[in-house]
Amino acid sequence: MTQGRMGASGAPVVSFENVRKVYGHVKAVDGLTMDLRPGETVAFLGPNGAGKSTSLDMLLDLRKPTSGTIRMFGSDPYHAIKAGRVGAMLQSGGLMPEVTVRELVALVTGFHPRPLPVEQTLKRAGIASFAGQRVDKLSGGQTQRVRFALAIVGECDLIVLDEPTAAMDVETRQAFWVNMKAEVAEGRTLLFATHYLEEADQAADRIIVINKGRLLADGTPSQIKARAGAKRISFRLDRIDEPFLLGLPALVNVEIRHDLVQIQSTDSDRTLYALLDAGYRPREIEVSGVGLEQAFIAITAEDDRDGNGTTPGRSDSAGVASYAQH
Amino acid sequence: MNSTLALARAEVRRLGRNKRYSFFSVGLPVVLYLVIAPSARHYHVYGVAYPAYYMIAMASIGAFSGALTGNAQRISQERKDGWIRQLRLTALPANAYVIAKIIASMVITVPSTVLVLLLGRFYGGVHLELWKWFAIGGTIWIGALAFTALAVAIGYRFMPDTVQPIAMFVYFVMSILGGLWFALSGFLAKIGDVLPTYQVTRIGTDLISNQSVPATAYITILAWFAGFVVLAVIAVRATAETV
Ligand SMILES: Nc1ncnc2c1ncn2[C@@H]1O[C@H](COP(=O)(O)OP(=O)(O)OP(=O)(O)O)[C@@H](O)[C@H]1O
Ligand SMILES: [Mg+2]
Repeated sequence: MTQGRMGASGAPVVSFENVRKVYGHVKAVDGLTMDLRPGETVAFLGPNGAGKSTSLDMLLDLRKPTSGTIRMFGSDPYHAIKAGRVGAMLQSGGLMPEVTVRELVALVTGFHPRPLPVEQTLKRAGIASFAGQRVDKLSGGQTQRVRFALAIVGECDLIVLDEPTAAMDVETRQAFWVNMKAEVAEGRTLLFATHYLEEADQAADRIIVINKGRLLADGTPSQIKARAGAKRISFRLDRIDEPFLLGLPALVNVEIRHDLVQIQSTDSDRTLYALLDAGYRPREIEVSGVGLEQAFIAITAEDDRDGNGTTPGRSDSAGVASYAQH
Repeated sequence: MNSTLALARAEVRRLGRNKRYSFFSVGLPVVLYLVIAPSARHYHVYGVAYPAYYMIAMASIGAFSGALTGNAQRISQERKDGWIRQLRLTALPANAYVIAKIIASMVITVPSTVLVLLLGRFYGGVHLELWKWFAIGGTIWIGALAFTALAVAIGYRFMPDTVQPIAMFVYFVMSILGGLWFALSGFLAKIGDVLPTYQVTRIGTDLISNQSVPATAYITILAWFAGFVVLAVIAVRATAETV
């Protein structure tokens, strides 16, 4: 028994190996390889059409990969799902109409091999107050919470959520994450797709960015930010020497407008010291962090440029060493 | 299996609450029977008194319309909404959804059929040996099972807005040419002869008039039944990726 548990905990919870899904000439997922380790909270990011839902659907055995393998707890996802080890919420999941919320939750709870008390699930999902209402009479955000409830009706080891907070208002979204963090604190692994970058930044230990079906970045939120240039430095300088500025250390991107210089740098201290050591005395120095949102835009924009066949590394948006003078 | 039955129970509860469903499968045939059977008391069709024929026709109409149009529409809508996908994420066995739909449809057919047969007995004055009541009910029930299979095929294959006209078309062709709205004779009866609806009615009337039922009646019904099941299996398999 103990040995079995240890063996299981060492294996990745989820592994994608060179997974592809092709629709005609659309490569929805194009050679995705990734592993999820036990207990991790992973945000799955990517612009519309990046292949997030396709990947999650394949993980949940709703669609078959064109090629490649997906494993869950070291075996085929179908078996893990039928053993009740996964709680999932789909982007395109529907509910049974004509029954009350409580009836629906009770019904789905009954399907689970390790069910939790219905009243407790209603409370954890924040839907107890409208449990007597009919499922087809709910608002968009209430429906979303009921779908979340169905993902947590039993004890599971992995939770997969595809845009769980879409359609939720700010307060509901915050309450959702409070509940979600409690689920994760019990040692569950969480994989969620989202377009809300603050929520990825706050909730996730790890961020995976995909675009056009391919993996673009995989790391902690701070690593992702660092990749796009973790700090933004801005200052005014009278006599601007472009080649010198472009040669500064740890530099990601430079923008110049008249006497205003804006730099993205992976190490703002080093960049700034090099500037000062060279004898420059810039005015109005400001150093600020780059948000995940800017990092995300930079990473995907860079990928889109590469994919479009234009010269990489020349643009006034962040991501690669470049400059623009106006 | 227990959880599939739980799902079937929930489906029955939903159908019972659905007014549209109750109207077409119970309300309409009962009202038509109450209105039309007494006025045609002295006519004879298919070798039986009109109220006896009409009892079988109305029981069939109720059973088949519920099985076909009700189920097809719901299955298609639930597929579009993603409820079937949601169920696939639970520990329910594969195909539990379809099996539960069929069980529920067959359970809900029973009270509406029994109600019309009881009307035939106590209001239409139809007197039969006990086994014949069961034989008639059983034949209608098998017919409803065949139409449930067709509903699965249509519901899985088409989107809700196309399902409605398709199911209605099949329903009207099958019920009119099957002689469920009025008894057929001559050329129409020749066409009706190949339809399961017509054969269900004829088996009933033959039983009532003590005639021997031709084997072709059973063969016709079973052939349609098999055909609908094949269509259903193909449709469910073909859409495994998109539900
Ligand atoms: N059934 C399908 N048939 C054809 N193309 C499809 C199908 N499903 C997805 N695609 C295509 O695959 C690509 C990836 O779609 P997917 O839904 O996985 O994106 P996503 O990252 O979830 O986007 P969003 O953020 O908008 O939800 C898109 O180009 C989409 O058009
Ligand atoms: Mg999506």
